[in-house]
Amino acid sequence: MRKLDISTLDVLALMRYDACTRCGECTSSCPTGGEAQDIELVTPRGKILRLRDFYRRQYGLRAKLLGPRDIPEEELRELTQRAYECTICGMCRTVCPAHLDTIEMWENMRECLVHNGLAPLSAHEQIIKSIENYDNPWMQPRTQRSKWSKRIEKDVIVRDALKQRCEVLYFVGCTAAYDPNIKAMAVNTARALGLAKVDFGTLGNDEGCCGSTLLRTGLRDSAKKTALRNIALFEKAGPQTILTSCAGCFKTIRQDYPRIGKVTADVVHVTSYVGELIERGKLNLNRRVDAKVTFHDPCHLGRHNKLYDPPRKVLESIPGLKLVEMERNREEARCCGAGGGVKTAFPELAEKISALRVEDAERIGAEILTTSCPFCYQSLKQAADARQSKVKMLDLMELLNLAL
Amino acid sequence: MPGERYLKDRIGLYALFCVVLLAFSVVLLLLPYETVYVESREGLLVFLLVTIACVFVFMLGTTYNALIWMQGKGLVGAPERRLLKAVGLALRITLSRRLWKTIRIFFRDALYLSKLKGRSKTRWLMHLLILGGFLLMFVLDLLVTFSLDILRYQPMIDEEGWAKMWIRDFAFDLAGLMMLLGLSIAAFRRFVLKPKIVKTELPDAVSIVFLLLIVLGGFYLEGMGIAASIRGHTVNHEYSFVGYLFSFLAPSSVNEFYDEFWLVHGIMSALFIAYIPFSKLFHMIATPIAIGIDGMLTEEARAR
Repeated sequence: MRKLDISTLDVLALMRYDACTRCGECTSSCPTGGEAQDIELVTPRGKILRLRDFYRRQYGLRAKLLGPRDIPEEELRELTQRAYECTICGMCRTVCPAHLDTIEMWENMRECLVHNGLAPLSAHEQIIKSIENYDNPWMQPRTQRSKWSKRIEKDVIVRDALKQRCEVLYFVGCTAAYDPNIKAMAVNTARALGLAKVDFGTLGNDEGCCGSTLLRTGLRDSAKKTALRNIALFEKAGPQTILTSCAGCFKTIRQDYPRIGKVTADVVHVTSYVGELIERGKLNLNRRVDAKVTFHDPCHLGRHNKLYDPPRKVLESIPGLKLVEMERNREEARCCGAGGGVKTAFPELAEKISALRVEDAERIGAEILTTSCPFCYQSLKQAADARQSKVKMLDLMELLNLAL
Repeated sequence: MPGERYLKDRIGLYALFCVVLLAFSVVLLLLPYETVYVESREGLLVFLLVTIACVFVFMLGTTYNALIWMQGKGLVGAPERRLLKAVGLALRITLSRRLWKTIRIFFRDALYLSKLKGRSKTRWLMHLLILGGFLLMFVLDLLVTFSLDILRYQPMIDEEGWAKMWIRDFAFDLAGLMMLLGLSIAAFRRFVLKPKIVKTELPDAVSIVFLLLIVLGGFYLEGMGIAASIRGHTVNHEYSFVGYLFSFLAPSSVNEFYDEFWLVHGIMSALFIAYIPFSKLFHMIATPIAIGIDGMLTEEARAR
């Protein structure tokens, strides 16, 4: 008989499974379960009821009195597959009338599935191996991590924070460091910091993956190792502020690391930091950007961290720029479809969701769709290109640099 | 000792369980019930015994659900010992400086359903009517039992006493009406409107129909009492404003079946209590607890 071990499910999560009222509020707003596929088992309610049914078969009162019942392997596999079709965008947490912290629940559910040998999915295995072996998900050598900075070494000095104490440690993140299409994010961030004469540096080639992918796919133990390694580097560098330009790294270092080790520095996202630089007059935005721009709230920045105003303040301070809001914005913003490992394992599903977001931007007549997350950027850009959309995709720091 | 699976690690919870059940049973059986409307003492005894059995099932089901929670990570030891510790911890936190915060969170999010109000006024009203009616009736039941059978409070006993008219008649009818309205909206929405987000399986239908039958049965029983002018239903019928309307449906000749109908209504109510831990209605217990804990715990504490 297949035994489902629930010892890795949080006490609070188990409580929340019982607290679900089955109201279904989460089903219509779920980007993968409700909007893109209309499959009940992918929706939060579907997953909760199925997993609860499974563990009650083996741990409930009836199981105690009459003996545990079997859970068919194919049903467990189906639940696993569906659980990984979730982007962990947190829309369900926003709408849940029972205040369930579903973001914690989904990550924890995946941890349980991994513990039971049902996950990770084969599509994620390569990324996971890469993180474990190369410290980045893109199978790139460690020595290439700081190569991006060569592009601006004439304009800005990017110091090695491990050799020279810096006030600000810029945690670049794997995607901005390695992906040729996203490198501009790191370059533009460093350029803005340099122009504002910020005392900053990076961990250079020693920076490791933040572990976000590992955490989101349920590999908590591997993520812990990665996190502890980075935390030790933070302590060695001793900055006052850790700055991230990636929303995923921001969430991981700000929310997950303190559960693993002690992070003494303030963890700040680049949009908040740059906003302050502009407010203090350290960055002068003197070039006009005459365009109608809309901002896509990355889930890790918005719903997960309640950071809605800083990116908008930065955009509003750019001369000539007209900020317009999509119908679904801030806490209600539609997910881009890339999170939670969905883009890797289910690229078609991710594309379907991204296209809906680009449509949102088209509907309000935006000329530029901007965001502050490399994954959202990648995903939305692909969708915009595939649709041959008139909406141009730009990273927020790229947009800011146009005004500098 | 990994797992702490020894009897000594488990006995505490079951001892507490037995003490609570025994105390409840003793109190229930020792009350005089001199003012109860039903005349048949055998019927009353059957009801009391069924109630004790149902409360036992309710406690057992609730305890086992809570024991499943305690199988999760975050606490150490046997689940029974974890549960006792968790209850102790919850009491300590609740009675600490965070008491005010706990009360505020409980009222705002668990009772007033602040979040649901923002998303759907109709569903908020529906749920508030059911929950409010249920809680009001529970509180009134305790209050009336205490003042009748322990205090022997005369205004609660006299047919023209203010407490009899306003609490036993009016307030009970108000609570029942709230539930009836809420359940009617729920039933109409679930069975007639059938919005896409609503998924109706047997447990969903049973929960609504079961409660509706109990509430309607309660009003019909009151109507029978009024129609037959049995003890406690001879004057001031306007205070029992819903029961009075139902009295037109009940001919006075049904008087002879009043005790039997009272017993059926009582047993159904008791069975409903027993059904709670095994149905979606368990969220009545789990959701306020989850909301309370989530509201009180800091990020760091949650991580531990």
